[in-house]
Amino acid sequence: MDTEKIPRVLVVDDEKGLRVGTGRLLEMEGFSVKTAENGTEGILLGTREDFDLAIIDMKMPDIDGIEVLRKIRKSKPNTVCFIATAYASYETAIEATRIGAFGYIPKPFSPEELIQQLNKGYSQRLLLLESEKLKKEREENLLELAGEKSRLNAIINAIISGVIVVNKTGEIVYFNHAAIKNLNLDELNIGDRYEEKMPQKVNDLIEEIISSEIKTQKSLAIQIEIIKPNELIAEIICTPVLHPDGSFAGVVLVIRNITEMKKIEIIKSQFISMVAHELKTPVAAVQGFLNILIDDRFNIGYEKQKEYLSRSVVRLSSLLDLVNDLLDISRMETKSKKREIEKLNVPEIIDNCIITLELEIKKKSIRIIRNTLQQECNLFADSNEITRVFTNLLSNAIKYNKDKGSISINIEENKNFIIARIEDTGIGMKPEEKDKLFQEFFRAKNENTRGISGTGLGLTIVRRIIESYHGKMEVESTYGIGTAFTIYLPKSYK
Amino acid sequence: MALIAIIDDDPDIIEASTLVLQSKGYDTVSASNPTDGFKKIMELQPQLIILDVMMEEPDDGFFLAQKLRRNKITTPILMYTSVSKTIGFEYAAGEMVPVDDFVEKPISPDELLNKVENLLKKK
Repeated sequence: MDTEKIPRVLVVDDEKGLRVGTGRLLEMEGFSVKTAENGTEGILLGTREDFDLAIIDMKMPDIDGIEVLRKIRKSKPNTVCFIATAYASYETAIEATRIGAFGYIPKPFSPEELIQQLNKGYSQRLLLLESEKLKKEREENLLELAGEKSRLNAIINAIISGVIVVNKTGEIVYFNHAAIKNLNLDELNIGDRYEEKMPQKVNDLIEEIISSEIKTQKSLAIQIEIIKPNELIAEIICTPVLHPDGSFAGVVLVIRNITEMKKIEIIKSQFISMVAHELKTPVAAVQGFLNILIDDRFNIGYEKQKEYLSRSVVRLSSLLDLVNDLLDISRMETKSKKREIEKLNVPEIIDNCIITLELEIKKKSIRIIRNTLQQECNLFADSNEITRVFTNLLSNAIKYNKDKGSISINIEENKNFIIARIEDTGIGMKPEEKDKLFQEFFRAKNENTRGISGTGLGLTIVRRIIESYHGKMEVESTYGIGTAFTIYLPKSYK
Repeated sequence: MALIAIIDDDPDIIEASTLVLQSKGYDTVSASNPTDGFKKIMELQPQLIILDVMMEEPDDGFFLAQKLRRNKITTPILMYTSVSKTIGFEYAAGEMVPVDDFVEKPISPDELLNKVENLLKKK
């Protein structure tokens, strides 16, 4: 007998002597006993508590033992029940076992006989409990498995990449919502043939994997323009799925929407193409002169030689400016240059810029008008960057000004911003020129801008610096009248 | 000798090209933008047009070439190209530019003179 746990026995008998006697006997043998004096009480106790064993008298005045047995078995199927009766008959014995009694104890019984029967019953009870436990564990495992499956489904359906699984016979056996979206399909159903749903180029890849002799885990990828032009571009990666034994199961397709990435790529390659053009232009001019200078056939006079060389020097120095501007932009993009944030006084910075530009200002006889009343307008920023902003803006205001024109400078501040306005009396811009103002390499070209040099990156740099400080810039311009730039720079650095 | 028109927004390219062409005895006329170029071509009727692609769309070299052809000017056009028009920007088939030959910058004097000679001979 199990010494760890005390077996609990229910005795249901209307005969008090037997009930009490059996109870005492069993308690002495180490059982814990509860008794019921009739069928009703027996059902009540037996269905409410989970007894290990129950001894039920067959004949009771209210409800007979068979009925009590049936009720207890129904509610507690693992309670091992015995039917005890003085009217033992073959039929009742069969009936009792049919309903689920474990044993049949004819009355009167000897203590040894009873204990032996109960011990047998208790072993049965332990077996039942053990198998119940195993069954429960198995069920829990299955539940877990089902949960895992639905969790995986939820995850695969939630990811932005499309997933399609094609089995080795070419049927689509799994897909998620993103697959339909990223391939712009009307619908997709389990069991569809892949070749009827996928773009031809994808079919070729799947076909290649399915038909190849040696199945490795190697993926095949392709980029396809699903909606032209550049509206939806997808990257499709096809990978063979192998069973654990290495045999071929099918192909899994991962479909990514790479439209935005592609658009950036296009912008980048256009930028590179533009940079190449801008770099090549001065190189071509210089090489044009050098080709002539080096070639004796052209027999160029000394004065012309000097002229071509000095024109070449001008082109090379503008090429150098361009390379420096490009490097500045690249440093800004990669943030590779460390900022030194300090307290700056904007009127002072502008004064310094004017000093460096003095030569150009004198050449065109331009008048500088300072409207600033305050001597101090402070902000926290990198001195080089803010100097660059004002140098570029003032240099434009000089270059695109009329001879004997003027530049008005106005600096104000409000609670959060320093507001600087630089207004020239220059050639101004046509509306279509103004729209392109911040495009890299855009330079207004018309009868008034001939002879004005520049890299076409000045305002790009200004804009990028201002935006990096979370500031903003406004432009007003009237063709033939002048242009005004207003910049807002936050006073504090975040 | 033949009159050749050079239309390019880069004065240094005009200068060098002019010198090379004049060394072979050609007469030249130049313009630094498509508008002036069109005027001078209509007025002086050159035997050959050298036209830079020029980037300022829509008023670029291609645009001028098409405008000339629309105006029944059949003069051979030699186009100076740079990189941007050949890389990255693609033209639809029907939009092919009506020029006769291309010279890529930087320009080699020999290549320029050869192409000019060939185009004038064809004419």
